[in-house]
Amino acid sequence: MMKTNIFKNIFFLYGIFCFLLFLLPLLVDDPFYLNKSSTYICFGLLAVSLSLSWGYTGILNLGNAVFFGLGSYCMAMSLKLKTDAVHTGSGGLPDFMVWNNVTELPWFWEPFYSLSFGIFAGIAVPVILAVILGYFIFGGRASGVYVAIITLAAMIVVYLLIMDQQAYTGGFNGITDLSTLKFGKLEFDAYGASAYNLIVSVMTLVLFLTLIITKSRAGLIFQAIRDDENRVRFLGYNVGVYKTASLCISAGIGGVAGMLYTIVMEFASPTFLSVPLSLSVVIWCAVGGRQSIFGSFIGALIITSGQGLLSESETFLHTWTLIMGLIFILSVLFLPKGLAGIFSRKKK
Amino acid sequence: MEFFVSQFISSLSITSILLMIALGLAIIYGTTGVINMAHGEFVMIGAYTSWFLQTKLGIGLIASIIPIFIITALMGFLIERLIIRHLYNRLLDTILATWGIGVILQQFIRLTVGSELKYLEIPSYMAGSMSLFGQQVSIYRVFIFLFAIAIFILAWFIIFKTKFGMKLRAVTQNKDIASCFGVNSGAVYSATFAFGTGIAALAGAFIAPLKSISPDMGTNYIIDAFMVVVLGGVESLIGTAASSFIIGSTSSFIASFSNDTLAKALVLVIIILILRIKPEGLFTRKIRS
Repeated sequence: MMKTNIFKNIFFLYGIFCFLLFLLPLLVDDPFYLNKSSTYICFGLLAVSLSLSWGYTGILNLGNAVFFGLGSYCMAMSLKLKTDAVHTGSGGLPDFMVWNNVTELPWFWEPFYSLSFGIFAGIAVPVILAVILGYFIFGGRASGVYVAIITLAAMIVVYLLIMDQQAYTGGFNGITDLSTLKFGKLEFDAYGASAYNLIVSVMTLVLFLTLIITKSRAGLIFQAIRDDENRVRFLGYNVGVYKTASLCISAGIGGVAGMLYTIVMEFASPTFLSVPLSLSVVIWCAVGGRQSIFGSFIGALIITSGQGLLSESETFLHTWTLIMGLIFILSVLFLPKGLAGIFSRKKK
Repeated sequence: MEFFVSQFISSLSITSILLMIALGLAIIYGTTGVINMAHGEFVMIGAYTSWFLQTKLGIGLIASIIPIFIITALMGFLIERLIIRHLYNRLLDTILATWGIGVILQQFIRLTVGSELKYLEIPSYMAGSMSLFGQQVSIYRVFIFLFAIAIFILAWFIIFKTKFGMKLRAVTQNKDIASCFGVNSGAVYSATFAFGTGIAALAGAFIAPLKSISPDMGTNYIIDAFMVVVLGGVESLIGTAASSFIIGSTSSFIASFSNDTLAKALVLVIIILILRIKPEGLFTRKIRS
């Protein structure tokens, strides 16, 4: 009979990790650091989303931040329409529309009066984009490089459109002065334990969901596609559909991460779907270990919190970016499996 | 008629800039298979080198062509020897490594020169405009067009008419067999990378007077350059030139009735659509591999 050691059970370890994160508000009383920790976890989720598509399915999505940004904008649109009248024009028109001489709310803003629609859209819009992208990329059987370039280009298209349509999207400034998230009487203060707990709960959900996906049959096929796409195709699987599915799950998680980020940051900005953020996510995954969901998550936590601690002074922030670039190159050269690779090697 | 002439001239102007930027990328990608995400930063370094030579040392734009090429080609050579060399057996990781190189170059410039915008003036003897088919055209843009053609012909000549070019084509077709015939493929790769870097930097030096110089200017060009290469297919220089022209004229046409931002977005969408039908690019020959 096989002996099962509970401490080697990955579900158990995930559970302990999530439980420990729930305890953080008891230790940290400072609302500023609690808020910071929440943002790091949001970035961690973004890294998880890329790890699923890149590390598990082999889709090097260089435009991964687009899903994050779209989720963030959907949430921001909903919260914007809920702000106090101080920040709005006549009839609750958002302030930046007033500045841009827009007289009535555009049609695509209307449904965002409902918060639940906003949350639904924050997942649905990125997923729809992923389906379209998947159809164009994997339908044409584009190979590695083309996937990277097309996803990057697609993100830049969305970025340019948001920057250009200032009257409807807030352009360069993004959407600011948002209300806090409220469900009935439940209010999630961005600087309180409530928002933090919400984020850790969603994180727990996402981590376990991705864990189940990667252990499932589909998850195994994802990994098989990563290792040898043609062989999977010869076995009769529709590779394009599986790849698109992986991209969609990744997009959904990215959207969720973006929504949570907007809740704690209280604004949405075009930088959320910019090239630098996309690059950062790739770095987090590469350093943490792209073929490990948990490794990517921890990679994002370590790097973003390191950045947060050092970013007090301007020059330090610039030097930090330089060091990040160096660490990134070194990890690509010598540690292709990231930090997670060190630990999994030791286990064997 | 006048509309078409002015359209044609402005699209040629965009085409020449695109061609200069994309040429180095196409040569590097076509030969080594390395996806050089730091290409935009090479363009940026070229612009800064030109700025440095002109404002600090007082060397003119034309006179600085050769120093810029040598300095940046050396940089490209070192980067290839130190980093890229180790990744030829996992080419997708070159995207990551070169992206990291781009970040480092950008930050390096930001820390040493500063992140504020720099401006270079068009040399006084090319500052005016001339009449061309009844249109007033800036002499400097004509000069850039001619220079782009010159670089293109030079690249064509090197690749198809010199001994080095023959080795380069041999390595491109089959690295192992070329090595068996005594071609030092490592040296060919280094030289190719250095050459591509040098061309990118020259493009940066010539674009600089038209636009401002900033540490992140490269990111604006990298996607355009990739679109040219991807649309043109990787293995033909003519394809690169033709797709530069297609993209240049399309974006100049769309920009004539909307704005530059929207034109860029639309062109990217069009290219993604084209790649759905022809994933290998428009100008590829079918060869057995």
